[in-house]
Amino acid sequence: MAEVNGGFAGKVLRVDLSTGKISFDDSVEKYREVLGGTGIGYKVLWEEVPAGTGPFDGANKVVFATGVLAGTGVPCNGRTAVTTLFPSCWPKPLVASGHMGGQFAAKLKYAGYDAVIVEGKADRPVWLFIRDGRVEIRDAGHLWGAGIRRTTLAISQEMGPESVVAAIGQAGEHLVPLSVVMNSVSHSAGGVGAVMGAKNLKAIGVQGSGSVRIAGDKSEWERLVKFHLSILGGNNQHVVPSFPHPQSEYYNPSSRWVGAPGKRWGAAEPPIEINGGLYDLNRIAFRSNSGAFYLGEQAWQYTVRGNGCTGCPLRCHTILKVPSVAAKYGIREVAQNTCGGMVFGRSFFKQLSGGLFGPASLEACMVGMHMADDLGVWCNYGQLQRDLIKLYYDGTLKAELGSAEYASFPWDKYENGDPAFLFEILPRIARRQGELGHALGLGTGGLLAHWSIPEEAWTHDAACGYWKLGHPKHHANEDDGQCGVIINTQYNRDPQCHSHVNFIRNGLPLAVQKKLATEIWGAPEAVDGVGDYTPMNIHKARRARWSLVRKELHDSLGLCNWMGPWVASPLKERGYTGDDSLESRFFSLATGQRLSREDLDRIGERIFVLHRALTIRDMGSVEMRSRHDLTPPWIYQAPSGAQAFTKGSIRMDSQDIAKAMELFYEVMGWEKATGAPTAEAYTRLGLQYVAEGLAVKNLVPGGKR
Amino acid sequence: MKSEIEAEMVVRAAKEAGFCATLSRRQFLFLCAGAVTSLAALNTWRVWGADAPIVITDNAKGLLLADPSRCVGCLRCELACTEFNDGRAQPSLARIKVGRNMNFGPEGPLGGARMQGAWGNGLFIQDTCRQCPHPVPCATACPENAIQAAPETGARIVDTSACVGCRLCQRACPWNMIGFDEQSQKATKCFLCQGVPKCVEACPSGALRYVAWRDLTREAAPRAALLVVPPEKAKGCLDCHKP
Repeated sequence: MAEVNGGFAGKVLRVDLSTGKISFDDSVEKYREVLGGTGIGYKVLWEEVPAGTGPFDGANKVVFATGVLAGTGVPCNGRTAVTTLFPSCWPKPLVASGHMGGQFAAKLKYAGYDAVIVEGKADRPVWLFIRDGRVEIRDAGHLWGAGIRRTTLAISQEMGPESVVAAIGQAGEHLVPLSVVMNSVSHSAGGVGAVMGAKNLKAIGVQGSGSVRIAGDKSEWERLVKFHLSILGGNNQHVVPSFPHPQSEYYNPSSRWVGAPGKRWGAAEPPIEINGGLYDLNRIAFRSNSGAFYLGEQAWQYTVRGNGCTGCPLRCHTILKVPSVAAKYGIREVAQNTCGGMVFGRSFFKQLSGGLFGPASLEACMVGMHMADDLGVWCNYGQLQRDLIKLYYDGTLKAELGSAEYASFPWDKYENGDPAFLFEILPRIARRQGELGHALGLGTGGLLAHWSIPEEAWTHDAACGYWKLGHPKHHANEDDGQCGVIINTQYNRDPQCHSHVNFIRNGLPLAVQKKLATEIWGAPEAVDGVGDYTPMNIHKARRARWSLVRKELHDSLGLCNWMGPWVASPLKERGYTGDDSLESRFFSLATGQRLSREDLDRIGERIFVLHRALTIRDMGSVEMRSRHDLTPPWIYQAPSGAQAFTKGSIRMDSQDIAKAMELFYEVMGWEKATGAPTAEAYTRLGLQYVAEGLAVKNLVPGGKR
Repeated sequence: MKSEIEAEMVVRAAKEAGFCATLSRRQFLFLCAGAVTSLAALNTWRVWGADAPIVITDNAKGLLLADPSRCVGCLRCELACTEFNDGRAQPSLARIKVGRNMNFGPEGPLGGARMQGAWGNGLFIQDTCRQCPHPVPCATACPENAIQAAPETGARIVDTSACVGCRLCQRACPWNMIGFDEQSQKATKCFLCQGVPKCVEACPSGALRYVAWRDLTREAAPRAALLVVPPEKAKGCLDCHKP
């Protein structure tokens, strides 16, 4: 194999909290075949965490892993995958990952580590100190019980202001399955806080002064970085603006590229008017404003600036300053987050006066960020809030909660959309107080089991957005028909995949998308218009495969799958094409190991199939198609009575989805009957050792090898 | 020898400018720094008085100007600085420094309403080299005279062949802007990328600009106030900077 001269930090740090032992592995030697990120996470779980381990057992491990491109100037890097057995996965905990951005990944690389493997269980609260080569397990007795904010300040006082702290809040300490680990104010990895809590690990503080070496020629690197910048769109690689502009041939009101010239960051001091050309590379940071996207026009006047991850010019964590909330709710006037984290608070309410773009919505968002990002509560991609709405309005809570507990909640505030209600509900979830606080924090699966509610009550309800295994849909049929459905069947939590939707929702007209689809996936039929779906075909299966492979690739390179891939661009002169080989070109230059797009995609597929193998092993079954790759009945229903494949309906057809799954298994080289990878599929990806391990347990289709 | 020639040039220039040939040492120095600089392409005037060299560096031509209200904290400036110049991503080596203020602002994690940065008021403050006027603290501190003005931009640059890695310049910079490359064991500082700063080009929010130099050193209190002057230099300095 070619020598690796850059990209990798070089070491994987391993900390055993039971014994206090600190050791180091050579990343390249041991993990290059799986790159980093989820790749290292899955490999560690495969090799070191036996089937049957519980998420809170000392034998479970939690792997914080970044990737080759993290900490470099590649646009949209900065990601850390946190892989472990997920306590919210139901009825049986299985492997999954939370993904956080912020500054943690880069700092870890500069400190010299591609990953941190935490194993065992400390006998008292501790935090992990990492400063370059110096690693110590330090006492966290004074931090236990504190929120993420205080914890971060206290550790930063001890380590220095430049360090980055990834901490859990009270939710993680109380082993609430819906809990996060959080760094850099608002960058969280969901689902893993309680695993840290079970290990008595309050936080990891990192400071690094080293470098990530670029093996290739620095001028070539500079050219490629600048090329990448030139093909960036807005948030989620939406490549046309949401507003008409003389420089742009197209616009699309649903685009996240909302920063129109003339808009202003009204809470900057002094306010900043967005000016300059639409494609000016010194104005990229103004394209995104999550506040304006989620809260409407009102958000501009409260926008201080965009914030986000190391190296990303698209600042999706908008900083909002709303002075009125300080007096009204006694919270900080400044908050930041994006997407589900930003709307965390308002999503609890069925109704808000003024609607989603009104002042109550804004205030609920501010209160939600203030509380959830300090307590470390995870929303499970909005399922937590949808569950409460369903349980309250269908009368379950009144029936299940004791009258005293029921009466202890100000339900009038809840019904009226008063953000003050959040002060009642969130601390109870974080501290597992009362029946409701306990049940909601378990996640949907645990909650349903706790109150003996049949899962069907959720899987038949489209408004609930629930998918399977205790987790919701995430960019499924509502965005991308069969492709979205396939992707939503594959993981043990919501899939966290954006490869597909970032193309479908990029804002370009369908005709242009079809032209690009022909170039990338071989046929225009690989894409449909949103809500205008056609029956399944092999090209969609190929696109689903490509999407999943790129997702794992990004998660293992430290790149952001919320922003990539970059196969479309805003550039008319390029016919709106992006670059499908960008990842491999960056990888080759960074490491000095030349890999083609196909080579690197093969590694991505290897990582994805390793996840599949872990799921098969821990479920103890090859019957993935019938037991794991499930779809909720609501996708086959339409309240309006609309049939599948009629314009305006997202309704799927069950036979068509059965065909979709078969075509997907076919393009993956998996057995159609079971949906399990064949021995050949494992071997083709260099996973023979995995096939052998599964064969011993009779978990490779076709019997023993 | 060179210094004597330079001194002669100054005297000649002074004569042509209408000054009498007999200058006091102090007047002589003012001339060096002011009226006659346009007569020579040199940025540094070096003359010998008593037994000590006196170094007077002309003002830089260009300057990095940073606007904190526009900074989005992506650190692309730090990455461009080190990747495109050094072939490695290493913010600790970057000659523009944003990351150190990003979490809590320059005053650190104090808590309270005054706290800046992502955990405070949301303001990110960029630290840039002011390309100080005479006396240039880093250059003055250097016992090897390894920090000189670049011919094109006047940027105060480290001559790595002369730098011995003593770190006195780091101690001397009132703004804490000198980096130290552990790999090469040499000091490093902002050299304005020969007039096309990579950081300015890399900024996605237009928060950095490259402008004509002006003196920013008197507009904010220095972060550190440690004066470092090697004894052999101090003798010369005392001629003007009387105790």
